Amino acid sequence: MLFTSLDFFVFLPLVLAVFALTPVAQRWAVLLLASYVFYGFSHPFNLIYLGAVTLVVFACGWGLERARQRPLRVAVFVMGLVAVLGSLIAFKFYDFIAGEIEHANLLADFKLPRLGVTAPAGYSFYVFSAASYLIDIYVGRLSGRQSLGQVALFTAYFPKIFAGPIERATNFLPRLLSGLRADPLRFALGLQLIGWGLFKKVVIADNLAPLVDHSFKIVAFAPPIELLISTYFFAFQIYCDFSGYTDIALGISSLFGLDLMENFRRPYLSRSTAEFWGERWHISLGRWFRDYLYISLGGSRAGALRRAINVMVVFLVSGLWHAGLGYGVGWTFLVWGALNGAYQWAGLATRGLWRRIGEALPRVAASAWLRVLRIVITFHLILLSWVFFRAGSMHDALLVLQKIGARLTDLPHLLTIYPFSTEQLTGFGLIAFLVVYEIVDERRPVFQRLADAPVALRWGAYYLGIFALLLFGRWQAKEFIYMQF
Amino acid sequence: MKQFGKSALLFVAIGLLLYAGVFVATERLLLRNGHSNPFFKIATAEARDYDWVILGASHAMPFDFADFNALMQRETGLRILNLAAQGTGPLYNRFVIEHFLRAHRTRNLLYVVDSFAFTSRAWNEDRFADAKLIRGTPFAPTLARLMGNYVRRDGVDPRALLDYLSGFSKINNRDRFRRDAWEGEAQFDRVYRSSATAVAQRIAYLYPDATMPDVRARYLKQFADLIAIAHENGIRVIAVKLPVPALFRKQLPNEAEFDAAAAGILMDHAVPLQDFSAALDNPNFYFDTDHLNRAGVTESFQRLLKPLLMTPGGR
Repeated sequence: MLFTSLDFFVFLPLVLAVFALTPVAQRWAVLLLASYVFYGFSHPFNLIYLGAVTLVVFACGWGLERARQRPLRVAVFVMGLVAVLGSLIAFKFYDFIAGEIEHANLLADFKLPRLGVTAPAGYSFYVFSAASYLIDIYVGRLSGRQSLGQVALFTAYFPKIFAGPIERATNFLPRLLSGLRADPLRFALGLQLIGWGLFKKVVIADNLAPLVDHSFKIVAFAPPIELLISTYFFAFQIYCDFSGYTDIALGISSLFGLDLMENFRRPYLSRSTAEFWGERWHISLGRWFRDYLYISLGGSRAGALRRAINVMVVFLVSGLWHAGLGYGVGWTFLVWGALNGAYQWAGLATRGLWRRIGEALPRVAASAWLRVLRIVITFHLILLSWVFFRAGSMHDALLVLQKIGARLTDLPHLLTIYPFSTEQLTGFGLIAFLVVYEIVDERRPVFQRLADAPVALRWGAYYLGIFALLLFGRWQAKEFIYMQF
Repeated sequence: MKQFGKSALLFVAIGLLLYAGVFVATERLLLRNGHSNPFFKIATAEARDYDWVILGASHAMPFDFADFNALMQRETGLRILNLAAQGTGPLYNRFVIEHFLRAHRTRNLLYVVDSFAFTSRAWNEDRFADAKLIRGTPFAPTLARLMGNYVRRDGVDPRALLDYLSGFSKINNRDRFRRDAWEGEAQFDRVYRSSATAVAQRIAYLYPDATMPDVRARYLKQFADLIAIAHENGIRVIAVKLPVPALFRKQLPNEAEFDAAAAGILMDHAVPLQDFSAALDNPNFYFDTDHLNRAGVTESFQRLLKPLLMTPGGR
């Protein structure tokens, strides 16, 4: 079931009504049932995957809690982790790797068997949540004495199941145990978040999507300027698609009195790629990698070289995690990860230099112009990496860069003569609106400003938002990009 | 909490008023930009009585492209209303004729038969929910009631009715300021260069499901119901298969079986079938893989349709 489908707009009020009529202590059970209905609605078979992952981590957590000897604990932990993460790797990569091996003729004429199945929607997300549950029990951050029902809800909670945020059991389960109560303020905030998330998804992302798809479909035929425009559009499409989902997820969860973690914080206003990945873009995944991979590898404690290697490993793994998205499993994602890892290397290498310059020229360092310049440069570095993310193959990605690069000096002239379509101009208008909104929001949250505004202004803004969704939204149930993980 | 509830109610009430305003505005816009939708044509039909109504899927539509319907009327002296709509099978066409007959009359019905329209619900029940068709359909309470009957009786998705009643597809129409014309009309004067790949893709699109005899029987039954409705209203029915290029015709799956099954139904209802499908093989008569262009429509009309329309009883 998609958040943008009519089915969901019937489903949600029904769940809310049952939730409100249920005693506080049993409300989690309503959410568990709703989550299974939500996830199995279109593909009931997928419930088997969800149930299996839940049972594996619950059983291993239970075993870890009771096992006293270290070898047994390690065995249970490794078994659980291999089962959930191994299944993810197998679903995502086995067929691709088998194909690559055969393509390279490494096994002579031997044909490797194929799984023929892909991971069900949202698998990467709930597997990562489930893995964090297991790791937290193993390292002693969480007790393994959780009820099966609550672990099942943690894994399956419907607002986050398809595309996160990747919650931690250490945050999620205590909130369940303290009881779920919605209050009017939280409810109103939830509705605003849902509205804003829908706006980002169906008005901005889905209006940009066909323009991007058109150019990237056959890169060889697309003119350089169109590719350039589409690359910019893709940066905002993927942001609005993904953060739109997150906003809706957070909003829905607020209706039930359960706060999920923030996942995006106006990422295109980052002043460095480190800030982009560390504090603003897909925060829950970044923290997952930081806590469970980067720190486990030694983090920054084992010297500069080891740190650099660890950073690159994290970004390469992140690249692999992103592979299998709607744009196929390919080497582009590895390059995308490596490129972003290289940005971090450059950032680490020049950090001291920038600090010294800042100390020598404090006024320049604090100036708004420099801040804007850094934001623009960071955005374009990220933009460059999005080319590899979006292109269907390495050949396509390089062709895009080659075509744009070859005409880079002509671009100002080409822009003046290019016959922009109404759809493209609308796309630019929507992006401009988003950028202004985010700048305003960065200074003081727009929701807070609205809460303090006179009723007429506040309601006027709400009606504008609602009617923009009705008039300009693309509601033809286009999947969220990250759901395809 | 009470205050919150009151505010919420007021907010919803104002929102509904605004929605009603937008609903009315989009209906007006539709009346200005409507063009090829059969219900729009019925709503804006100048006459009450017609000599011929044409029903069918997109193969019948070119006879109403540009000024061709007016030309046919001039040449024959007949009143002709073309109510064909893209991708529509007998169930949807029955819906169209039922609505037409509420306020209009016709002496004859020309049904353009296409086998694909009898093989899948995609061309029947699902067409009711197609936003492109709904957004071109003006709101009328009688039509809403009729659609309600199809939801109850024929398994049409209730969301189609909800969409129609709420006007959502019209309000959400991205092409709201453009004329509601089927994209084929813009290619009416084009001449097609045949391509086996394009034909194969087109066939795969038209026949999304493997042909199941029970599915075909179901839609032939709908066709029989349509004929029965026509006969109850004293309308003479003639079925035709319009010309398609040889390359296209030869790839149609199970066409002979379909012809035999359709012939049985038509014979039971004493409806003649004129098979013109092989009459114009030259690809110059088509603007794409299987639709007649202006030259093709002209040739088909002069050679095939005009004598048919002018037969005794046609007037």
